[in-house]
Amino acid sequence: MDRRTVIKNLALIIGGAALLPACSQDKAKSKVALKNIDITADQEQLIGDVAETIIPKTTTPGAKDLQLHLFVLKMLDDCYKKEDQQAFVTGMGHFADQSKKLYSKTFDQLDIKTREAFLLDIEQEGKAEEAAAQKNGDKKDAAPATISAGKYSPELKKFYSIVKRQTINGYTNSKYFMTNIVVYELVPGRYNAHFPYKQKQAV
Amino acid sequence: MANLNIDSVKQRTFDAIVIGSGMSGGWAAKEFTDKGLKTLILERGRDVKHIKDYPTTNMYPWEFEHRGELPMAVQEANPIVNRCYAFGESAAHFFVKDAEHPYIQDKPFDWIRGYQVGGKSLLWARQTQRWSDFDFEGPARDGFAVDWPIRYKDIAPWYSYVEKFAGISGNRDGIAELPDGEFLPAFPLNTVEEYFRDHVKSKYKNRYVISARCAHLSTPKQIHLDQGRVQCQRRTICERGCPFGGYFSANATTIPWALKSGHATLRPFSVVESIIYDEKLGKATGVRVIDTNTKEAIEYYAKVIFVNAAALNTNLILLNSKSHRFPNGLGNDSGVLGKYVAFHNYSAHIGAEYDGAKEWTTDGRNPAGGGYIPRFRNVYKQETDFLRGYASGFSAYRYPERSWDGVGSSLKDNLANKELGPWHVGSHMMGETIPKESNFVSLDDKQKDAWGVPLLKMNIDYDDNDEKMKKDYVEQLTEMFTSAGFTNIKASTDKRAPGLDIHEMGGARMGNDPKTSILNKWNQVHSVKNVFVTDGASMTSTSCQNPSLTYMAFTARAADYAMSEMKKGNI
Repeated sequence: MDRRTVIKNLALIIGGAALLPACSQDKAKSKVALKNIDITADQEQLIGDVAETIIPKTTTPGAKDLQLHLFVLKMLDDCYKKEDQQAFVTGMGHFADQSKKLYSKTFDQLDIKTREAFLLDIEQEGKAEEAAAQKNGDKKDAAPATISAGKYSPELKKFYSIVKRQTINGYTNSKYFMTNIVVYELVPGRYNAHFPYKQKQAV
Repeated sequence: MANLNIDSVKQRTFDAIVIGSGMSGGWAAKEFTDKGLKTLILERGRDVKHIKDYPTTNMYPWEFEHRGELPMAVQEANPIVNRCYAFGESAAHFFVKDAEHPYIQDKPFDWIRGYQVGGKSLLWARQTQRWSDFDFEGPARDGFAVDWPIRYKDIAPWYSYVEKFAGISGNRDGIAELPDGEFLPAFPLNTVEEYFRDHVKSKYKNRYVISARCAHLSTPKQIHLDQGRVQCQRRTICERGCPFGGYFSANATTIPWALKSGHATLRPFSVVESIIYDEKLGKATGVRVIDTNTKEAIEYYAKVIFVNAAALNTNLILLNSKSHRFPNGLGNDSGVLGKYVAFHNYSAHIGAEYDGAKEWTTDGRNPAGGGYIPRFRNVYKQETDFLRGYASGFSAYRYPERSWDGVGSSLKDNLANKELGPWHVGSHMMGETIPKESNFVSLDDKQKDAWGVPLLKMNIDYDDNDEKMKKDYVEQLTEMFTSAGFTNIKASTDKRAPGLDIHEMGGARMGNDPKTSILNKWNQVHSVKNVFVTDGASMTSTSCQNPSLTYMAFTARAADYAMSEMKKGNI
């Protein structure tokens, strides 16, 4: 056995050990180098699970295969305002708590269907609030609407919206997506102003 | 020692000095070196060599660390330049950062700059339209600014001259108010752009939708191949610098051409502090340069000096060139230097959908960007409650609508959707603004930059005419869109500061009368015959065409005149 294989096997063993409950206390740092935020390996795992629920592995690669959770963290660290970063970290805590409160399980213990339902419920609440705010904004002199406290804190929704946005951003701008799904041409070399198109019949 | 000094002066003496290596400076350098003049090109920024210094030009989207977005720290440190649409991860290295070169905003002004060899010619939107006499006669007819000292016939041959070399794509549309040029084949309008063109033609007498004319090599000619440029590859990531030389930039075109002649010396990192005026000789003898690396002050000398530092920096240099003869700035006997600055009003847009032509789309990308609607307001006579008018961009496009709703495999399916949505159409306004004495730049009497040059103060604003014109653009385009059967029409206006159009002009305007202008009809300083200004600073009025082509033509024409005057011994 060469040295590289030994290390690989060792990594598998250690990786397996990480599944033991005792290791949930492990404060290991995230794999991606971050300048402005502090993320533990457990938190990174949670973001990975959320990202994988958003873009799951199917017949094609999913979020974890494409390391989109690490991209989410990279973007959060570099491209967001400090208050958004703080809200993200706080919201991530609320997210973990809410999973236990609503489903009596940590997010990683939920089955796929429940994970999806959980995320969709957060998304639904966010959308309803946006619609209400917009409606209120249309009435210029109206008193600010008293937004009834929903199930999810503003920070939680912020956390979720950043993970979702950057997971999709990372996915649709990934080499995999841009060479296999919607092909990006660096040098098209052509412009056809009139190109026939056949619309599919509505199903 | 004495000999050494003489040698040093000799080494620092040229036939011509060109201040600035961008859109117009590159042309001056090319023209002088073509005729064998020993030419010094001064550039305040770093060198950017064609291809070699385009670090992002062949990068795929996924190769950008933040997929095109700039880190928040960069955005927060650069609120001004961050408002420019092209300031992103792929081209930020070609823009001046806010803190690097401060200026004073007595009134808000977004000064977008590119300090490097090539200047903003690397970054421009590459739209090129000629002026006509409807533009040159504007100030005299409508009673603002001063009369242009030239007419279309004076500049027309020079438009042809620069167009052939630069490579301009367009159709010969036969529109009097937007004269035809020496065109390479146009980038065609697509199905819906053509539909709108035909509709507008049938409904209005003097409104046209044409293929946008642009500085791209749709089909290059020998003169372009001789420059080392090849056909435009329709990449539309031009702001990164083009390895094909598919569009006109000084970097791909005029600067290497001038250097190839063996007559040019390019000196980057050279801020021109002032132009040296000799009271006895009654002319300029050279320029005082600060080397930005060593902070050393060095003088260079020449028979003729072309100021092409970009409109407002050209004003700054002239204002800062003070002498006993010119206490208020070089050539400023009239007192108008720095005044009558104007720009283009880009603050209105309109978008809509078109529920038709479903059996057509486009393939590849259009570097021209689509269509162009020449000015149709107040062309033949005054017809509105505001002066002048606007040109408009127009483009139609369709794309797959990819919903971000939901999660899981259904979201994945949505993101992979290739089914096209309806056609979208869009237009933006490009309005003429009226030069006024109250729109001016001046030097601060206390604050200086890192090179000891006074900071420029901006006092430039919109006026009532701009507001009325903006309202008219929205009304007219809404009407045109409505009658074309476009739906879901949404007009929007924004509160952008002047400057973001990156078409600042004037301050050292041309005119017949030395009492009310700085330059004569040859872009020559009235009172300092061996100094010429051929960039945006020279503009008497702005009309609404994209200005770069006109700067190029002015520059080639002025260089030709300067050389004939040199031959005659007049300068």
